[in-house]
Amino acid sequence: MNLMKKYLQSTIAGPIFALLVVVVVIALITPRFLHPTNMSNVSLQVSLVAIVAIGGTLVILTGGIDLSPGSTVALVCVSLAYLVKNMGVPLPIGILLMLLLGLLLGFINGALSTFGKIPSFIVTLATMNIYRGIAFAITGGLTIFSVSPDLDPIFYGRFLGIPLPFYYVVILYGIAAIFLRNTIPGRSIYAVGGNEPAARLTGISVNRMRLLAFVLAGLTAAIAGVLETAWLNSGAPSYGSDLGLGSIGAAVIGGASLMGGYGNIVASLIGALIVAFVQNGLNLHAVQSAWQDITLGLVIILAVGLDMWRNSIGEFIGRLFQVSPPGRSKD
Amino acid sequence: MDAEKSALWVARGICKSFPGVQALDDVSLDIFPGEVHALLGENGSGKSTLVKCMAGVYIPDRGELLYHGVPLVFHNPTEARVHGIATIYQEFSLVPTLSVAENIFLGNYKTHTNNGMINWPVIREKTRKVLKQLSLSLDPDAIVKTLSVAEQQMVEIAKAVSIDSSLLIMDEPTAALGLTETKHLMDLIRLLTSQNKAILYISHRLDEVFEIADRVTILKDGHRVGTAPISELKMSDVVRMMIGFDIEQHYPKETHVQKIPCLEVQNISSGNGVNDISFTIHVGEVFGLGGMLGSGRTEIARAIYGLDRITKGRISLNGQEVKFNSPREAVHTGIGLIPENRKTDGSFFNFEGPKNITISRLKTILQGPWLSLSSEKKVGLTYIKKMNISATAMERSVKFLSGGNQQKVIIARWLFSQARLLIMDEPTQGIDIGAKLEIYKVINELTASGISVLLISSDIPELLAMSDRVAIVRDGHILQITEGSGMSEYELISTASGVGPDEKVPS
Repeated sequence: MNLMKKYLQSTIAGPIFALLVVVVVIALITPRFLHPTNMSNVSLQVSLVAIVAIGGTLVILTGGIDLSPGSTVALVCVSLAYLVKNMGVPLPIGILLMLLLGLLLGFINGALSTFGKIPSFIVTLATMNIYRGIAFAITGGLTIFSVSPDLDPIFYGRFLGIPLPFYYVVILYGIAAIFLRNTIPGRSIYAVGGNEPAARLTGISVNRMRLLAFVLAGLTAAIAGVLETAWLNSGAPSYGSDLGLGSIGAAVIGGASLMGGYGNIVASLIGALIVAFVQNGLNLHAVQSAWQDITLGLVIILAVGLDMWRNSIGEFIGRLFQVSPPGRSKD
Repeated sequence: MDAEKSALWVARGICKSFPGVQALDDVSLDIFPGEVHALLGENGSGKSTLVKCMAGVYIPDRGELLYHGVPLVFHNPTEARVHGIATIYQEFSLVPTLSVAENIFLGNYKTHTNNGMINWPVIREKTRKVLKQLSLSLDPDAIVKTLSVAEQQMVEIAKAVSIDSSLLIMDEPTAALGLTETKHLMDLIRLLTSQNKAILYISHRLDEVFEIADRVTILKDGHRVGTAPISELKMSDVVRMMIGFDIEQHYPKETHVQKIPCLEVQNISSGNGVNDISFTIHVGEVFGLGGMLGSGRTEIARAIYGLDRITKGRISLNGQEVKFNSPREAVHTGIGLIPENRKTDGSFFNFEGPKNITISRLKTILQGPWLSLSSEKKVGLTYIKKMNISATAMERSVKFLSGGNQQKVIIARWLFSQARLLIMDEPTQGIDIGAKLEIYKVINELTASGISVLLISSDIPELLAMSDRVAIVRDGHILQITEGSGMSEYELISTASGVGPDEKVPS
């Protein structure tokens, strides 16, 4: 019973409940939805957004925002394709270099947002354009095809019958969850997002923590970039364009607050799944792809709106019962 | 009643309360045209609440506001302004990136339009007229942020005059001014009163009040103690009325001072108003900083904690010279800060109690590379028990705790991080008497275990009773340091307010 009570009170209860509702509703109107092949497809499709959402959630937890991961993905796809196909670099080295590239791109975002004192929205809006621009410059706008036959198993391989990307997602989320819950930097990230002046006064290096979040966001975007290249066995500067907004949407639907300090990493995965299932449902009903964008937008507004309005609804109910907000002191 | 009819503005029977606090209890005040009426009282006496009730920021629970005998209700500051009450707060309400003229007519552009386009020549001309009326030599096109603080204040006053206010409320107008600028302000006030405007003047500086005011109203603990013409009062009377004749409260002070110095501050100045401060805090000592609002006490704390850059002088902690470039270094070396504003700077509302306690020394709960949540839970339970904190702090965010409990959680944080020096900035502000006593007990326990406390408090009886020694601060200087028990509240306020030695009468 205690476990039940703790579960209901946890911040993850809401998103899980929403996910269940979505799954049930779609399953009822779409016969092929729960079929293993379809589930397998969905897990492939959601893996990219889910992985990018890890980094996106970390940044949001510190009170910042990262608009650039889609462009990081594009730059990584193109660079990996170029290195392996055009320069003959062995694939493992190429992948390693891409991870380092991700760290670098994240570092740039972070440095400008912290020591550079430019708001992260502006910085990542700019790098969103710059990074993709560099990708275009590298290939002259062309797609690099057939990068390497060794890429195929990375994305399409299976273990115990389940696609590998599923494991990547689970492992990365596991690491992220433990990082946030049980390490000093993880805890500090929550502190910085929850109350930046207080964090500074308790001796936390606020800039360092926010920089760390951005660096990790760059890393997860790079991982997604490698996977995207493996998925399509090609690199093009147009890749990953939905991932930025999609990852923020996943985090927000999962309950992360854009003010910072509130959020659960696993909830972001659930947010990504909700979006992926809804889009999959639309696909199975052969709905035009335009509706997918509209749906994503509506789901985000609904999710964030409920979060914002929850406070006013709470206040309204509170006023009905004349409960005054706690902790007010005389001025 | 006749007097009320000829009065310009009358506040009658104003009552205002907030959860847990009765800020104003049946306060009445009348103001005549052309009068400078000073409003005095200690911090927390209700002065600023009364002003906000008159300025339309708050709606009083009970009581009336009368203009020429006609009752009015202001639902917001704009309504107050439209009816002729202009308030000049310490934090100016100017837009720094706009010009003097644009600021003076802010909100009033509509009445100066030509087919929907703002008529700037007319506005500029009117601005020049207003500035001339006040004998101010400011350029109407000067951008406000390029002006000095004193000049900005003049713009605020010009703004009030331009809308033809009948009453100007000035809240601590000279806090940011030097001597010549203060004199200019006094001249300006005399000019305004000669034009039949009324001024409600709030200040801690009794010397200024005695220079400029016609009448004085004194508040204490939300009550009006008295109103009288300044000519009938001596400064000593005023101070006595501000303090009141309270029953001596019994503070549970214990002395645990050791001869060993903990913090030695030598001739430090900072970029933020600290001027050549020297003092020593011993191990187990409570060292109080007393002074009026804006005297520089918090700035001294900021300099010690590494928040402000120290431009001159040295600080030593436990015999070692230290130089903190950030709070991180101060925390690391064993100093803790309990900030004045615990909600915005102290408590993490996204954390429950245990997480708020461990946050400044997370290393302590590490097991290997991981934070041990079970150890953290034990830490939480230990301090909740030790400091009598509400048990809900274990499971729920600290935002659901009372002010007193939130404060105790923050104190627990520094106990946990084994700080040797705790800076407490207004630790019992907004806390009920029962919780205050518990915090005093905690202070005793801290000093008993060899921890030193730098105590900043505007509650003067508290400061004097709980401090072993007190330094009186004014304008970033220390005026004197005495034993807490050897000084009366009266003496402290007198000294801190700038009352001259010949005015002081032993109480």
